[in-house]
Amino acid sequence: MSAPFVIAVPAKGRLQENAARFFSRAGLELIKPRGARDYRGTIAGLGGVEVAFLSASEITELLGQGMVHFGVTGEDLVREMIPDADSKVILIDGLGFGHANVVVAVPQAWIDVHSMADLDDVATAFRLKHNRKLRVATKYINLTRDFFSAHGITDYRIVASSGATEGAPAAGTAELIVDITTTGATLTANALKVIDDGVILRSQANLVAARTAHWGESERATARLMLDRLAAEARGRAFREVRARLADNHDAMLADAQKRFRVEVPFGNATSSGMVTLHCPPGEVHALASFLREQGAEAVTVADLGYVFARDNPLFAKLEAGLAG
Amino acid sequence: MASAATRSAETARDKRAEALVASFERAGYTRVAPAVLQPAEPFLDLSGEDIRKRMFLTSDPQGRELCLRPDLTIPVSRDYLASRGAGKAQGFCYLGQVFRHRQNEPSEFLQAGIESFGRPDIAAADAEMLALGLDTTAHYGVATPNIHIGDVGLFAALIAALDLAPAWKRRLIKDFNHKTSLAQDLERLTISASHARPEYQGVLAALAGSDPKGAHALVTDLLSIAGISAVGGRSVGEIADRFLEQAALGAQTSLPRETRALIERFLAVAGDPDEAAAELRAIAKNGSLKLDAALDLFESRTGFLAARGVDVRRIKFSTAFGRGLDYYTGFVFELHDPRGRAEGQLVAGGRYDGLLTRLGSAKPIPAVGFAAWIERLVACGGAA
Repeated sequence: MSAPFVIAVPAKGRLQENAARFFSRAGLELIKPRGARDYRGTIAGLGGVEVAFLSASEITELLGQGMVHFGVTGEDLVREMIPDADSKVILIDGLGFGHANVVVAVPQAWIDVHSMADLDDVATAFRLKHNRKLRVATKYINLTRDFFSAHGITDYRIVASSGATEGAPAAGTAELIVDITTTGATLTANALKVIDDGVILRSQANLVAARTAHWGESERATARLMLDRLAAEARGRAFREVRARLADNHDAMLADAQKRFRVEVPFGNATSSGMVTLHCPPGEVHALASFLREQGAEAVTVADLGYVFARDNPLFAKLEAGLAG
Repeated sequence: MASAATRSAETARDKRAEALVASFERAGYTRVAPAVLQPAEPFLDLSGEDIRKRMFLTSDPQGRELCLRPDLTIPVSRDYLASRGAGKAQGFCYLGQVFRHRQNEPSEFLQAGIESFGRPDIAAADAEMLALGLDTTAHYGVATPNIHIGDVGLFAALIAALDLAPAWKRRLIKDFNHKTSLAQDLERLTISASHARPEYQGVLAALAGSDPKGAHALVTDLLSIAGISAVGGRSVGEIADRFLEQAALGAQTSLPRETRALIERFLAVAGDPDEAAAELRAIAKNGSLKLDAALDLFESRTGFLAARGVDVRRIKFSTAFGRGLDYYTGFVFELHDPRGRAEGQLVAGGRYDGLLTRLGSAKPIPAVGFAAWIERLVACGGAA
């Protein structure tokens, strides 16, 4: 039982840089011992863990087969490539990068088409008029089929596309597309528009666990350690530390602050001298600082947090619940 | 067509199925054995993309998509169209494997069946299919299966007779096979016919009452001024047409409640075919709807069934019964085990007059047929 714990991360491009930065911030430094071209690596100071550098679609495939324990990949690929994905993998957490939407886009010239209901009608009319079906170019065959089916659309054909999908309508190989978009600029440049209710999936890079991988004691221990660091880092990013010395009668005031500014009180209420440490969401910091001074605080300091290690480990809890379910 | 050797290998495990097909041959149907490996295109085109996830797909070295046949209706139809007899009245029977991903049953299974092409005597041909279907279950010891029938042609006739915008007729016909969408359609029709976006509402309303030709020219001009040319297979003319159709829909007051009630009453009709026909005649008379041709065909079919010795009072007819496949155009039926020993229908079929045109026939060819699920029939046991 000395098989390593395997985590698969993207090998190339922006996704790789973002993933490496993400793990590094959590104190999990990905190392390629034999140089940058190496496709196998380790994590500094964490024995028994193997890092596999692969393409996002390979990672998704291996997750579906349970050949790796953890992987970093887009939710779009998970939903497209793994049939009945939720029975095979657990989406542990969105990582805050690799944002993209999978959308239905039609030519801008179709001024009569705004909704999927319009598209349904156009598809049937097109089939009756031309005696063939509307063609949808996409690499998301399963997502497209399920989404169109949910909207009752039957008069269409899928044309599998492996690249430059947005060019298909202009090239005459399809009438419309289902593709991934971040800003919509590529679609606009190709005279396409997104249908109002045509967003199939809002995707981002996810940390994904394979249900069918081997999860023994040691794998769970490794996962717990990694997820503990990732959770601590995530919590550190989600809050600012606010310190202040309060005037009298602070208990009621703190309760008020918790309600109004979504503040947490990690170390309990103020000390006898009135000192208190608060964790506050970044967006509420200024409002909280004003509030505390109005309530009599002399000075308020705000600092970034590196990590917040709490007793609970929500990410590991999610993994455990998923593996049990 | 496969050799006799392949055929015997395919079916050696079921002598009773062989005897069944022999009875089809004695009834005048020519036995055929289409290729197992088929081009995927016609199946995806006719059965819809939903069938893709149930198909076994592969490709040839040129990259053309092929599949293991998921049914035999389309292969038999294609071979008939490619033959010299295309267009003539001909009947075929078959026994062979079909391949579909299934959850609770094996993905490779046997089907026997009949396809009858080009017969002009519609009602008699329909009745013959159901009668042969009943012979098929009887062959496996299920003498009195539950008989469910429907008639897609009746719903089409109703919609044609109603005073509705063409766009709505199109939708209702298409959604007949998808019952939840049909309910949604009726809901939306009753509340409001317009789903145009607010920013176009004014333009659409202004165009609604105007001369159709002039309005069409205006929209076409506007599109070309904006530098928008045809992209993606739809011409500017087509786009303008539908844009104006939306205008007409927006202007039309919502579907009168009594029309919706009429459609719902129509779809609620169920019972034995004679009762149902009487009820439908009454609905047609009250609503001043011309459904005579469709109802005459329906009653004539019932007559042929009785003449063939089918006890028509045992038949459960429902106007809402469809088989979920877009290519059926008329009579549809399913036979089920009354004791529920098999999951799903034992025999199912119907009329698909539009199919051969969609497969490339220059002129329409009437067609009707059915398929039998051999393993399910065997599971129902009974004496040979």
